[in-house]
Amino acid sequence: MSSDTQHTRTIGRRAMLRALVVTAAVGLAFTPASAAPTGEVKIGLAAEPNTFDPHLTVGRNTQIFVVNVYDGLTARDAGGNVVPALAESWKRLNPTTWQFALRRGVKFHNGDDFNADSVKFTLDRAINPETKATIISELSTIARVDVVDPFTVNVVTKAPDFLLPVRLGELFGLMLSPKHTNAMGKEAIATKPNGTGPFKLVSWAKNEQMVLEANESYWRGAPKVKRIVVRPILEDAARIAALQAGEVDLIAPVPHARVAELRRNDKLVIKTIAAPRIFHVTIDVRKPPFDNVKVRQALNHAVDVNAILRSLYFGHGTRLATVVDKNALGYDPSIQPYAYDPNKAKALLAEAGFPNGFETELDSFTGSIADHSKPAEAIVGFLQKVGVKAKQNVFEFAAFGPRRVQNKTAPLFIYSIGNAYLEPSWVLRWMTQGGLGMHYKNAKLDEMLTRIEATDDPKKRAPMYSDVQKLMKEEAPFIFLFQADGVFGMSTRIDYAPRPDETQWLYPLGIKG
Amino acid sequence: MRRYIAARLATAVLVIVGVSVVSFFLTFLTGDPAEIMLPPGATAAQIAQFRAEWGFDDPVAVQYWRFLKRAVQGDFGISLRHGQSSLPLIAARLPATLQLTVTAMLLAIVLAVPLGVLAATHRGGKIDMLAMGIALLGQSVPNFWLAIMMILLFAVSWGILPTSGRGGVAHVVMPAVAIAINLMALLTRLVRTTMIEVLSEDFVRTGRGKGLRELAVVTRHALPNALIPLVTVVGLQFGYILGGAVVIETIFTWPGVGLFTIQAILNRDYPVVQAAVFILATAVVLINLAVDLLYVWLDPRIRVG
Repeated sequence: MSSDTQHTRTIGRRAMLRALVVTAAVGLAFTPASAAPTGEVKIGLAAEPNTFDPHLTVGRNTQIFVVNVYDGLTARDAGGNVVPALAESWKRLNPTTWQFALRRGVKFHNGDDFNADSVKFTLDRAINPETKATIISELSTIARVDVVDPFTVNVVTKAPDFLLPVRLGELFGLMLSPKHTNAMGKEAIATKPNGTGPFKLVSWAKNEQMVLEANESYWRGAPKVKRIVVRPILEDAARIAALQAGEVDLIAPVPHARVAELRRNDKLVIKTIAAPRIFHVTIDVRKPPFDNVKVRQALNHAVDVNAILRSLYFGHGTRLATVVDKNALGYDPSIQPYAYDPNKAKALLAEAGFPNGFETELDSFTGSIADHSKPAEAIVGFLQKVGVKAKQNVFEFAAFGPRRVQNKTAPLFIYSIGNAYLEPSWVLRWMTQGGLGMHYKNAKLDEMLTRIEATDDPKKRAPMYSDVQKLMKEEAPFIFLFQADGVFGMSTRIDYAPRPDETQWLYPLGIKG
Repeated sequence: MRRYIAARLATAVLVIVGVSVVSFFLTFLTGDPAEIMLPPGATAAQIAQFRAEWGFDDPVAVQYWRFLKRAVQGDFGISLRHGQSSLPLIAARLPATLQLTVTAMLLAIVLAVPLGVLAATHRGGKIDMLAMGIALLGQSVPNFWLAIMMILLFAVSWGILPTSGRGGVAHVVMPAVAIAINLMALLTRLVRTTMIEVLSEDFVRTGRGKGLRELAVVTRHALPNALIPLVTVVGLQFGYILGGAVVIETIFTWPGVGLFTIQAILNRDYPVVQAAVFILATAVVLINLAVDLLYVWLDPRIRVG
């Protein structure tokens, strides 16, 4: 090696080092931790909120979006863990009283101060019958709210409610400004919200577009993107086309059938996440032959759920052993799903006294948030193979609803429940309520759940769910199915990570480069 | 004439009331909004309370009477879903739907008339076969399929038109074509048939005999006569076009009455469905009335006695 080259190399290294230092300095100067929001991101969604009045929201599509202009007392992090938001901390004073210590110095978009009065006003409004709150079922546990001091409130519940801090989170605990809400009136608040959240609603023409602008004095720090334009694009093909044509940077949902094809496009990034929607077939355990556990187990062995996931969901889903989803607290992966085994199913049916199977009916529906009629069709086919001849009924969702509520469903019906709280107890209580189409009840299960619900620490609560899952699997009051992945499509220009609870939380959304 | 219009208006009112009765009972008998409006956690008691608050637990006849009393004052109630008065919600979407349907109709007429005339004047020739081929294709292609194919071609592959939504002139092109295509095909055949008929009439022969140029015979003498049936058909097709607009508005998320109504039906948002039915029925009835009057004005032979 000559000295010349040695010399050149030294200079080269020095120059490189200098360049690095300069780049780093420039980089720091332009991307400080509290950078002002910049740029615009366009989003195409299959549905838009029905309102920005957090007490009159209808359906999950609204509840997972309006949070962008509001805050709850609690929130979730990217991993789905409950974290402080407008409340800095909370504790249970006694079985029916939760105390929340509120964050100081938070302001609503119009400059109003957030304090204990805001919390009391908001929750009083939610439980006031005059509000006709659509979400009352999620908050009806609240008896009253006591203001202790300007930044401390006690929420008293009618019965012990371990879920209250989660309820008062991003889905059902969004805080309103008393002054603004009273001044606006009930109709106007739907389109002129005033929250403490990371974005302000600038304009909204229903079915056309909505414009959000960064709240630069957000208490968590300003969001990264200055302006977000949200367009409802209902048709799957049109939504994907808008992403491909570069009209929008982010879309949800993407149909599972299109994932593989879109992943081949190097201008797009497709991200999937297990959505907490638990598909299952409810079995009317009151009616013979379904009162026989062997028959219910046989049905579980008869359906090839993995095949359904492969063919209808193109593999973008998770087979579930019970009705506890994989991101829920206490999900026990060691509990194996029923194996697909038609011979075993036939044997169990024979043991139960039905060697030649039997005839029954299975209800399904179209027009809800997810497709329930195609999986039902597949299930009917699998049941047929073991001799259970199920006639499939297909309803429109609005027509199926009254059937279920009035306990008039067929002995089998497909359904799915979104585990909004990521807490199995809530799902299990609902599914074993002994009414509204769900007739399985079990005193032992109730006792186990009551014990779990008395345990405030999630870390201690989690392992307690293992026995519950074992019991559910054994009892088989449902045909256990799967949870499908939520699929998001985005351009390479943006940076976005979908959340496990389905919330379309846009605060961390960023533009690359 | 005045008596004729008054009688037509009276029938129009009957038609609108009739349509609203049918739609009221159809939507009521086939579903209930409670399950859609409330979160799944709602208990039986909460569902019952919701139904009581909105009066859904009353007998349908009682609900219909309540609806009728308010409707005659132009009040269709508060939308369950949007929390706003339903008639203004629907009315605000009418301009978008009219923009789309009128554009589609004009497009269909502008394409169909020359095509039909050319086919008639070149009867049995290549142009005729081509025109009839286009018409056949236009009548048999499902408009939703055409819509998606256009999106893929013009928006995704070539990037010359926006994929969906409403905005400038470019936004209206694909949805209008998707709606226009069936009507265009129908009108082409109609113009061809009537043109052939008119061209064989005496006054046309006289015109030719006078030594008029063929172009003048066709455009100045035959065409106006051939267009009279077109007016009737276009008027009658307006209702059909509004129906087609429901599908096309959904595909292109065109913020019109059709899209809003279909969402209201799926959600059993009764007040909005009723307001939409009222507005759409009124629009169809008024357009038909206008067409009838236009017809009378165009064709002196059918003056109302």
